[in-house]
Amino acid sequence: MITTTSTAVRIDGVSKRFPGRRGQSTLALSPVSLDIADGEFLCILGRSGCGKSTLLNLIAGLEQPSTGTIDLGGRRVGVMFQDANLFPWLTVDGNIRLALSLSGFPAADRRARIDELLATVELSGHGDSRPHELSGGMRQRVALARTLAQDCQVLLMDEPFAALDAITRDVMHAETERIAAERSLTVVFVTHNVREAARLADRVVIMRPGPGRIGSISPIDIVRPRRMEDPAVSESAAMLSDRLHHHDIEPGDE
Amino acid sequence: MSDRAPSLSMLPHDDAERGSRSDSTVWARGWSRSWPPLLAIVIAGAIWQIVVWTGWRPTYVLPGPAVVFRSTIDLLTDPQFLSAMTTTATRAIVGFTLSVAIGTAIGLAVSRSRILRSAIGSLITGLQTMPSIAWFPFAILLFALSEQAITFVVVLGAAPSIANGVVSGIDDVPPALVRVAQVLGAKGLTLYRQVMIPAALPSYVAGLKQGWAFAWRSLMAGELLVIIASRPSLGAELQFAREFADAPGLLATMLVILIIGVIVDTVFSRIANGVRRRRGMSVVRL
Repeated sequence: MITTTSTAVRIDGVSKRFPGRRGQSTLALSPVSLDIADGEFLCILGRSGCGKSTLLNLIAGLEQPSTGTIDLGGRRVGVMFQDANLFPWLTVDGNIRLALSLSGFPAADRRARIDELLATVELSGHGDSRPHELSGGMRQRVALARTLAQDCQVLLMDEPFAALDAITRDVMHAETERIAAERSLTVVFVTHNVREAARLADRVVIMRPGPGRIGSISPIDIVRPRRMEDPAVSESAAMLSDRLHHHDIEPGDE
Repeated sequence: MSDRAPSLSMLPHDDAERGSRSDSTVWARGWSRSWPPLLAIVIAGAIWQIVVWTGWRPTYVLPGPAVVFRSTIDLLTDPQFLSAMTTTATRAIVGFTLSVAIGTAIGLAVSRSRILRSAIGSLITGLQTMPSIAWFPFAILLFALSEQAITFVVVLGAAPSIANGVVSGIDDVPPALVRVAQVLGAKGLTLYRQVMIPAALPSYVAGLKQGWAFAWRSLMAGELLVIIASRPSLGAELQFAREFADAPGLLATMLVILIIGVIVDTVFSRIANGVRRRRGMSVVRL
């Protein structure tokens, strides 16, 4: 539910062209404009190659746009990827501690902050574990705690639960929803899973390939907390699925 | 939360296993680990003894294992031999320490600078293929028959392996890990210190292990060629034993050289496997 408000991320005419071989370049993303509200949970839905990850990387500042501007109003962003990518030589505590130290968090308060973050992702007591001792779901929780350690206001997630089993994914959806609400985070969540988008989003941006662009934007007005099995979620998923496939056969697509 | 309950029981299981390890399992484990090499040693000794029994060579040239074993015990209680061992050990430690310092510095520099890499990257690999004994005539010209000549060649033998360990370790850091580190705000020297170097550690330790092997070989070659009067060393002992046709002493000295090499190598393997185990990487058997 957005009752709102100010803009957290303003994307204005942003496009991205990647240099290719033999001087040719590919347009990964044609100019896109989009405002994301403070505290909004926005899902970007689309098939592979539609530029959704490119858009996320641009917001994260990992890539520079070829044209246009992205205005975060000084908000800090945190990014999570499909793989947890925990540092294997550090314990769970160590991973979070490193994130805190990199963001300049005062050393004296780190212990307390680590405990608080572990509690947030429901991993209290696992601080001394090594990443390889954890399950995939637990690793993603640590990755989430490590991202939250940066005290970000905008959380960017690139298919973060795509590699998890369905049961663990359900749990992670609930956790993400709860944490986003508790911390009033603005979330941009990239996925190719229609039901996941319907389950999580306040708004779903459907992107289309060739070149990457926004196809449609659909608000999802279902009361929270939601469950994957809610009829309203299934209904929205069906609607999104229709929109995703409806314009599929058009010039330029495949 | 549903995925938490099973996972809680998953972690302490490791500790429980450690706690319940009784004395008898320690023995069983030690035995299961040590019988294959022991058996191999027994078989090698048996073959050796059979060759001696065939009379292929007279026993003053090729003594049997029992004679050599007794001779080894004698040597290890002989003050002159112990002082030879001390000299050799000191040279090994000095040479290897220098190699680590130089190899690490060069490795870090090459991994950071594209120009340095294209300039000397392949030279480092090339140096590794150079048999260290080929350096000695030149080293002796430069430094005469001195400690420096030996150290020079030991460092040339070991430093390239160590440098290579650093370079390949840093090259092989998964790009995804670097990306995450950058997202978390690590850049420049901090990125290097906090992420690249720890990530490269397993490869670095492997480089150290290989560097040690090269250092030890170079040192033995050096001690055979560069014999400094009044300073007994293991290499010099070998040479003397040959000159005095003392076959048992010669073989006993070789045995000591082999054992020292194996012990140090085992220490490095232990360290390497400890590093790998902590990261959940596969552990290489000794």
